[in-house]
Amino acid sequence: MSIITIATSKGGAGKTTIARLILGRLALDGLPVAAVDADLNHTLTDWVRAASKHPITIEHELDETRIVPLVESLHEKHDVVVIDTAGAATQATIFAIGCADLVLVPCQTSSADIVEAIKTMNLIKSASLMMKRSVTARVVLTGYQPNTNISTHVEGEIAKANLPLMRARLNRLVAFQEMSFTGIVPTTGIAGVQCANFIDEIASLGGIPAASKLAS
Amino acid sequence: MGKKDLASVTTDLSALASMMPTQRPALAVAPPPASTPRPTPIRAQEELAREEQAIQFSLSMRKELRKQLARLASEADMTMRAFVLNALKEKGLSVREDDLIDLRKERR
Repeated sequence: MSIITIATSKGGAGKTTIARLILGRLALDGLPVAAVDADLNHTLTDWVRAASKHPITIEHELDETRIVPLVESLHEKHDVVVIDTAGAATQATIFAIGCADLVLVPCQTSSADIVEAIKTMNLIKSASLMMKRSVTARVVLTGYQPNTNISTHVEGEIAKANLPLMRARLNRLVAFQEMSFTGIVPTTGIAGVQCANFIDEIASLGGIPAASKLAS
Repeated sequence: MGKKDLASVTTDLSALASMMPTQRPALAVAPPPASTPRPTPIRAQEELAREEQAIQFSLSMRKELRKQLARLASEADMTMRAFVLNALKEKGLSVREDDLIDLRKERR
């Protein structure tokens, strides 16, 4: 039983893509999964209701006073609850971070993405201090283009800022973009391998309950 | 699956949260997700891969026959390809409706 919050104050960094990958892949493997969509654009909600072929419980909730009780309630019947937050630091983001066993901070290869990833990690640190418990958090490189100067540079900047980075990369792949239309999480090809590695690393970070860890 | 105790989260983080903007006022203007216009779904690669591939097939014949074929197809308002396939369909070839689509019109 775990709660994964996906947060960064930068819009378009890949939060919803990550949420889709986690929810879709775990649901495909038979885990009961749920999501709280705290984003004004309700993109994840639309995807689950309109496109997704996977059994996923979804709740769209913008009211920060309802986030924590909603997560508590969903957590009773689901192995993993994913919270997709808005592309801005809001009160809902803070409470979503507070609920989390693992916070994932997506970051594309741009200057603005790094700036907002740093701000978000600082916010997570502040929340940890106030709750007097540490919250595991990792930056996830999304829209990654291997063997390019920009990707190497961004990795260097992240290291310079001492941000904990996931080993798994999510490349800029057509399969991830197609997923938004088809509702099908990739299980084959490069995208399938990257998705599997990503899920494995989340499991190793405690984002997936031990008893439910995937055979892959 | 048991209930996780998150009771202290709201209390612990209230001070920090109070410095952040709220999303609540937006509730009144946010449209319900169900009414959102949706783009047309595209088909998954796996589904496309399952489809039979079209192949090129060349046929030699006398020039006069080729001219006649072009004329007859034109009179039937069909492409030569569709005309030939239609004729073969009458001989028992498993020709589907989508095999007879005029691809030239799609490309224009």
